[in-house]
Amino acid sequence: MVDLGTAVLTLEMVEASQEGMKALAAALAVGITGLASGWAESSIGSAAVGATAENKDVFGMALLLTVIPETIVIFGLVVSLLILF
Amino acid sequence: MLQPKTMTRLLIVGSKEQMSSAVTELYRHHVFHITDYTDQGAEGYEGFRIGQPMAGATELSTNLISIRSIENTFDISPDAYIGIPKRHSASIREIIERDLSRIESEVSDLTAKRSGAEAQIRIYEQRIAELTPFLSIPLELGLYRGYESISVIAGKTSRDIEIPVPCEKFFAAGKGGGVLVLFFRNQDKTEVDAVLSETPFQQISIPEEEGSVRQRLDYYQSEISRLNATIADCDALLEEIKEKNGTFLAACDEALSAEVEQAEVPLRFATTDLVFVADGWVPSEEIEGLKSGLSQATGGRILVMEVDEKEEEEEHAPPVEYENPKFAKPTEAIVDIYSRPRYDELDPTLMISIIFPLFFGIILGDIAYGGILLVLALALRRMLVGDTVQRLLAVLRNASISAIFFGIVYAEAFGAHPGAIDIHLWEPIISRHLLIGSHAYYQADITVLLVFAVWFGILQMTLGRAMSVVNHYRHQHMSHVAGQIGWIALMWGVLFIIWSIAALPLMPDLTGLPAIAMGLNIAGIAGAVLVVLGLIGIARESPLELIEIPSIISHSLSYTRLAAVGLSSVAIAMVVNFIAIEMLIEPQLGELTVLGIVFVIFGILVLLLGHLLNTALGLLGGGLQSLRLQYVEFFTKFYKGGGEIYRPFGKKRELTED
Repeated sequence: MVDLGTAVLTLEMVEASQEGMKALAAALAVGITGLASGWAESSIGSAAVGATAENKDVFGMALLLTVIPETIVIFGLVVSLLILF
Repeated sequence: MLQPKTMTRLLIVGSKEQMSSAVTELYRHHVFHITDYTDQGAEGYEGFRIGQPMAGATELSTNLISIRSIENTFDISPDAYIGIPKRHSASIREIIERDLSRIESEVSDLTAKRSGAEAQIRIYEQRIAELTPFLSIPLELGLYRGYESISVIAGKTSRDIEIPVPCEKFFAAGKGGGVLVLFFRNQDKTEVDAVLSETPFQQISIPEEEGSVRQRLDYYQSEISRLNATIADCDALLEEIKEKNGTFLAACDEALSAEVEQAEVPLRFATTDLVFVADGWVPSEEIEGLKSGLSQATGGRILVMEVDEKEEEEEHAPPVEYENPKFAKPTEAIVDIYSRPRYDELDPTLMISIIFPLFFGIILGDIAYGGILLVLALALRRMLVGDTVQRLLAVLRNASISAIFFGIVYAEAFGAHPGAIDIHLWEPIISRHLLIGSHAYYQADITVLLVFAVWFGILQMTLGRAMSVVNHYRHQHMSHVAGQIGWIALMWGVLFIIWSIAALPLMPDLTGLPAIAMGLNIAGIAGAVLVVLGLIGIARESPLELIEIPSIISHSLSYTRLAAVGLSSVAIAMVVNFIAIEMLIEPQLGELTVLGIVFVIFGILVLLLGHLLNTALGLLGGGLQSLRLQYVEFFTKFYKGGGEIYRPFGKKRELTED
């Protein structure tokens, strides 16, 4: 009889698994915040382009409003850097 | 510096006879920003009306429109001719009278001929398209019509169709589907239609022409090539006229624009039957020159009054003209993209001119990328014209120099440390290299980099709040002054508390001080006091502001992008190097085979494209992120903007002179 219920987990395997989990967590942090920023910026961006077409003096303000949500992904990037290193 | 040019309001009053010479003089000086007179019965302006254009304005405008339309045809702009020898305006006026109508009619004849030919070509092309399907049917075009009891139908179909009534049928299969022509008796029409409607039959119209299809097609083809030749002739003639008259047209444009502008300027003045009043602003340093010029031009028969603006209401805000040292001038374009400063607030241009390149350098920080962008900026400055473009390129040039400087600080070229190829010239002062690939040399201390970036945030936000204090103090809004000082106190209070609790790299370590009360040491208590004072200050300004408190954290952390965006660019560069050099090129170099050479070439392509992409990303990332920090985190602390741009009446003559 072969006992399939137990598997031997060496220290190296645990460490490797932890490394993998860290990489996954970092990827999720950047990926999900990236999606969120993109989602937020898409609607602001289209409104901003519309407003700029109406009156090009508002370009500065439009650019400013468009880039506000991209802080989210920067935070994600920072968090993932802190996870990885 | 930090302050727009001081403006003085001038009222120029004179009799109508003096108006023309006064206007010419104002135009020549190019310093008087006219406040348009609006006919709203303002106090003291009873009986005044908006002025009428001077005599000859209509004729001048008509001529200008002719010239602009010719310029439009030739696709030339007067800016393209800057630098050619100037012409005398008197000689230009003479040429306008003599030659303009002739050139105009020549040009309009040629363009009409050209567009007529183009229209005819389109018609012929349509005919050809209609005729082509009948090319494979062996019938003369005349045979398709003229019957009393016979109907003809033609169409495109993919296959031959069986018709159950007596008929004459021609089918020709072709690549894009065959063509079917049917001759049948009129009384069978319903049956034929029924059969055809059940098949993929697409009816086409029968051309109303005579003779063989081939002949007609050849005729139209030859007509089209003849018309194309006509168009080419017209183009050549137009080009010749453009060559001959381009400089003259550009000079005419400038001279006439100047005259039209002068002739129409009374529309912005307040006038009665006898006098005119011009209201406007002049930079204070220019007043004396303008005054003496005006009195000379009019023989002293004109009144120029300086109005003390403090007596006036708010609506007469002075226009804003920057006053910055030369190196900060290009940055004015960046501030203008956001908004021109108001007359009564601090002008941040000087600060942006230092901070923007600094931040760009911190983000991009690469000797090679910086060098590429520097070369690009210098090359484009030679090639492109236009004031704003030139200014933005000058900003890019400064930013690239800063990137090269930080590249030296980081010891980084194309994302790699020179140590990777055994060059050890200097050690990075701050490293942001990553351990990617076997040539990786340093592992950056990410926390140090992030804190380094946050320091810039803390300093810039304090600077922004301090500028806000100055702005509010000038307007004697003391509750706002208290509020802004409160924000500074709150931010530094929080920092002191953090320093007293945790030791952070690059930050003062105050954890070692003895605890005094509630586990806080002296620095912690000082921080707590600052926080409380700050909260009181902010609440005095407006309790609603208190909900903004988390912005202290989020804005400081927002500056971590200086490190984070830079690191992502380093990571891309190192991955490109790894893929191209270590995975593709190096393994092949030991023993070169044919396949190996292909791999090496592919590797070089990856290297070039990867770094090209990363340079573009670095320009975008470095530029936009750095700009955003100025606009969102810095400007929102103190800057309102919305000042009126100073547009002096007149224009610098580039192509003509008196």
